[in-house]
Amino acid sequence: MAITTARSARSVAANRSVRARKMADAIATAILWAMASSIIVMLAAFVLYMVYLGGQALTPSFIFGVPKETTAGGGVGPEIYNSFYILFLTLLFTVPIAVAAGVYIQEYARPGTFRNVVQFSAESLATVPSVVMGLFGLLVFVYLFKWKFTALGGALTLTLLNLPALMRVTQEALASVPDTLREASMALAGTKWQTITRVVLPSAIGRLTTGVVLIAGRIFGETAALIFTAGLSVPFNNPYDLNPMRPAETLAVHLWYTHSESIVPDVDRIGNGSALVLLIMVLIFNVAARVLGRQLTKRFTGRAS
Amino acid sequence: MIDTAPQQTLETALDKIVAKDVNVFYGTFQAIKHASLTMKDQHVTALIGPSGCGKSTFIRALNRMHDLTPGARVEGTILLDGEDVYGPDADPVVIRHRIGMVFQRPNPFPKTIYENVVYGPRIHGERDKSKLDEIAERALRQAALWDEVKDRMQRSALDLSGGQQQRLCIARAVALNPEVILMDEPASALDPIATSKIEDLIGQLTDHYTVVIVTHSMQQAARISDFTAFFHLGEIVEVGPTSQIFTHPKEKRTEDYITGRFG
Repeated sequence: MAITTARSARSVAANRSVRARKMADAIATAILWAMASSIIVMLAAFVLYMVYLGGQALTPSFIFGVPKETTAGGGVGPEIYNSFYILFLTLLFTVPIAVAAGVYIQEYARPGTFRNVVQFSAESLATVPSVVMGLFGLLVFVYLFKWKFTALGGALTLTLLNLPALMRVTQEALASVPDTLREASMALAGTKWQTITRVVLPSAIGRLTTGVVLIAGRIFGETAALIFTAGLSVPFNNPYDLNPMRPAETLAVHLWYTHSESIVPDVDRIGNGSALVLLIMVLIFNVAARVLGRQLTKRFTGRAS
Repeated sequence: MIDTAPQQTLETALDKIVAKDVNVFYGTFQAIKHASLTMKDQHVTALIGPSGCGKSTFIRALNRMHDLTPGARVEGTILLDGEDVYGPDADPVVIRHRIGMVFQRPNPFPKTIYENVVYGPRIHGERDKSKLDEIAERALRQAALWDEVKDRMQRSALDLSGGQQQRLCIARAVALNPEVILMDEPASALDPIATSKIEDLIGQLTDHYTVVIVTHSMQQAARISDFTAFFHLGEIVEVGPTSQIFTHPKEKRTEDYITGRFG
């Protein structure tokens, strides 16, 4: 009898504790779910508000037209073009240098002074605020080299700004490739270079592409570094100039400029429209890059993602 | 008397790899101590011993895989057909071309089945598509995998089962037509059915290749090998024809190990 009582008492206590724990679990799940959902809500609210504000501005004459200095009705065609142009130039410089440096540090460099100095330099470079980097670009490219405001100067400044981040992304992408694959290639009498170009880099291509996309998003949105280096104007006669040695105001810079300096009467329309275009551009670029990354991965590895 | 027939071939077989007084260090730790071992041409030599006894370390010294490990150092002499593997003129790439390797865990490249098999020939400059196709078929047949994959050569190797992946790794190694194949516990990550397939395969490989296999399974060593070397604490305790090691070990430690008293 005593045994039964003790057992039932124990089971009541156990039940109570199970119920309490289940309750705690349910509450925790609900809170975590709410936090995660709030991200979706915030994004949706943000995008809807942007669309609401900028939607009316998106007319062909706005998207393809040239900006106006004093009157209403200016467009952002050349700014969109410049955003892509500077993005292209920046990636042209950043990707080869960052990937090469990342490969060297991760695959070749033995632990030692040189490797530490490169790492330290990259980390220091990564912490420089973009406005400071812009000032540096102003002093070097605009004044010292006497280039004035140029697309090239802007792109080189952005290269300095984004190099460390992409180098780190490269290192992490390479580090994620298992050593067993390197061993397999070396055991098949591959040289180090063959191992890197035929096994390691193709295996890392997905992560590398993601890294480039993140960098590209930052380049699209960058203003501080470009105001001092690529300038606040587009060439009057030839707004779609391919020459890199001319001023190249990007969309993000234009957004800042219209709101803070411009004297056109339709500031809000241009600002809201520019913001929406910028958002759409980043979105398109993200999706395109993701598709590209998947295609590349499939092509190199024979398997989707 | 019939029993002695394989042993006679053992005695007449040529020496393929001769290791003399080999020491391997990781930093200051000595993992292999004065190991000497002769591996016969077209025979299977099994390296057995408890975990951490240095058998994997030893096998990786044979094709200079320790070159890739920072802090690892190999001393002594390893001769491949009489040529010093660590000699001043020896090129590790050439050595690894002649001595292939299969690892403990299947490590196919994240590429198609076809690209895995032709990886070796490709990086050594073979571009002719029909030649590569031929090599791929021969290698996959030798690895007893051809029938299972011939219709899905362009599928990812990662979609294969573990046992198939390991046979693919063997095919990838034999595609280079090496003289020796080193196997570092090739079946330890596989189920019994896949294991028996690999074991059958190893028996057939000796028609063309010299095989050196590390295994922690004494039954496996007994089933597939001609020669067995028993490693313990970085030393080779005893070497001999497999039948003799398992029936009449000379050393007390060998006997204790094979009778299951430690290990």
